[in-house]
Amino acid sequence: MRKLQKVLALLLIIALAASLTACGGGKKSDTINIGAIYNVTGGQASLDKPSLNGFKLAAKEINENGGIKGKKINVVSYDGKTDQATVANSTKKMIDVDKCVVVAGLSDSNYALAAGNICQEKGIPFITSGATLPTLPDQVGEFAFLAPFGDNIQAYACADFAINDLGLKKCYLLIDQSMEFTKTLAHFFQERYIANGGEIVLTDNYMNKDPDFSAQIDRFLASNSGAEIIFISGVPDDAGVVVKQFRDKGVTLPIISGDGFDTPLLIEVAGAAADNTYVGTHASLENQDPKVQQFIEAYKKEYGTAPENAFAGLGYDTMYLIADALNRATDINNPKAIRDAIAATQNLAGVTGTVTYKDGSRVPVKSVTINKVENGKFVFIKEVLPE
Amino acid sequence: MDGFIYFLIQSVNGLKLGSVYAIVAVGYSMVYGILRLINFAHGDIMTVGVYTILVLMTAFGVPLWVTVLLSVVIAIAVGLATERIAYRPLRTAGEEATLISSLAVSIFMQNLIMMIFSPQRRAFHLPEYLSRLHTIGFIKLSTMNIITFAAVFIILIVLSLVIKKTRIGMAMRACSDNLNASKLMGININAVIVTAFAIGSGLAALSGLMLAGEYKTIDPLMGFVPGLKAFCAAVLGGIGSLSGAVLGGFILGIAEMLFAGLMPTDFTAYRDAFVFVLLILVLLVRPYGILGSKEGGRS
Repeated sequence: MRKLQKVLALLLIIALAASLTACGGGKKSDTINIGAIYNVTGGQASLDKPSLNGFKLAAKEINENGGIKGKKINVVSYDGKTDQATVANSTKKMIDVDKCVVVAGLSDSNYALAAGNICQEKGIPFITSGATLPTLPDQVGEFAFLAPFGDNIQAYACADFAINDLGLKKCYLLIDQSMEFTKTLAHFFQERYIANGGEIVLTDNYMNKDPDFSAQIDRFLASNSGAEIIFISGVPDDAGVVVKQFRDKGVTLPIISGDGFDTPLLIEVAGAAADNTYVGTHASLENQDPKVQQFIEAYKKEYGTAPENAFAGLGYDTMYLIADALNRATDINNPKAIRDAIAATQNLAGVTGTVTYKDGSRVPVKSVTINKVENGKFVFIKEVLPE
Repeated sequence: MDGFIYFLIQSVNGLKLGSVYAIVAVGYSMVYGILRLINFAHGDIMTVGVYTILVLMTAFGVPLWVTVLLSVVIAIAVGLATERIAYRPLRTAGEEATLISSLAVSIFMQNLIMMIFSPQRRAFHLPEYLSRLHTIGFIKLSTMNIITFAAVFIILIVLSLVIKKTRIGMAMRACSDNLNASKLMGININAVIVTAFAIGSGLAALSGLMLAGEYKTIDPLMGFVPGLKAFCAAVLGGIGSLSGAVLGGFILGIAEMLFAGLMPTDFTAYRDAFVFVLLILVLLVRPYGILGSKEGGRS
């Protein structure tokens, strides 16, 4: 029995060594390995799965059009399983074993920080396709980039839209106090709204997963604050519940929120009550821009379904962002050169807006799409680019 | 708006929430009164009931009254199964063992529901005639709110009669007084405990329907916090006393809404903290709860 164990162990070691050399062998090949780390299982799956689909679709298109400097892109993808340790380990593996020159992925700051720190340590460029924490690149270091806009930009866009387009200058602000994202978003919204000449007439708070908003709504009704619009800084879980309760209490004012409200739950839960709700997010399927419509067609053809949400577009754009940088990089085997090329990205048009990294910032200046719920559907209103 | 009317409106909000707590608390109180078991899984039985309703309504299109009946039956079955598997074998092992066991059951059930369905929150809609809003003066109530409120008192009266007038009720009171002595006197304590669990689980399923109907969403963790709050309500009102459980439920619900509605808005998100400080204060003054007595606690 013991002998058998020894033999087995030896066999395993040999197998492991063989697999290592097999992976390391492709160094002088005609492909470029790009890491795509996404949580395709677990709580993040509804955002990360579409992102990865978009990412792979873009890589396929690039390869069909001749690749990059004659080399094909090879997407190396691991499942982070919505677990920070798995994300970190998979990222290490992408760099050490698969020799990826760029790593991209993830839609939540907690996981993006885990992967980003590994990449920074190893000197490999990291681009998060969906996490919107504006301070993330500074927290991680010079190798980290955001592909979407930061929370400050989406908050500014909502504030600009409310004042400039809707002409509504008195706002009631309702904030979920349980998350960093919602607190940051509310902070930036308030800053911009007041700077634009608006007035926050009343601010109130709640906790995520506390589904009863009646006390807050009745306080708002009793305050006679003269509010013309309501900004709710919340996450998908609460989107439908809070809007429905406002409407049930007879509040018909327009409601506006950030990409946390870009969820089918808003309409599924609130039904007809969701009408007259504005959502500032990354993209709209209704946008008639040919780039967007082409992407939707290609996605349907590849996966048999329309893009599930804006995150599919973010994954798609992130791959093109990498390709653009690789084409401009002085040396595609040198991560530092690739990093510099990414940092120099100018006016790169994509499905989710146009990316420019300005003044050494690694968060793009990017337009925000405003969608509105009308007759139980998200309708594209306009793109806003906060100056 | 007049200050008094505002106070009244917030109190009605509290009564709406409190009536759900009250129904859960009555079930909690029955089990705790007899076994002294803080059943963490009680709220998750509520979740089981709600998901049963969801499946039956969406997949099979069964009429609502049938689904509610079936969900109550299934909740009772699950409640009795947990009692038989996870609590009864530990009954002699001490209260800590059953407490931990109930926590384990709770986590197991939450994860099982996540596995079968998904961790995502999803929409839950009652038929239109139940969610329709009625305006009474300056107050808006749905049909379901009114049913819930009435249900509290119907349940209270029926259960009080059962406990006072029937044989099993008498046995329950005896077991609540002293489980071991009751056993020695020839009372079938297993029958009593099973009855208590059945009533508690059935009520949990009903209150789940009311909670999900009110907020129109459900998720696998939805029962846990209301379950704990209901336990607090039962303790606040006086453990072992059914009217105490109802009173505790209403006080907790109203306190939540008044704290959220009257305190400076900086504190509204933290209303639970204030509610539980209130709970401590009440218990400092009335250690056995508002309607509880020393005899209610086990000697």
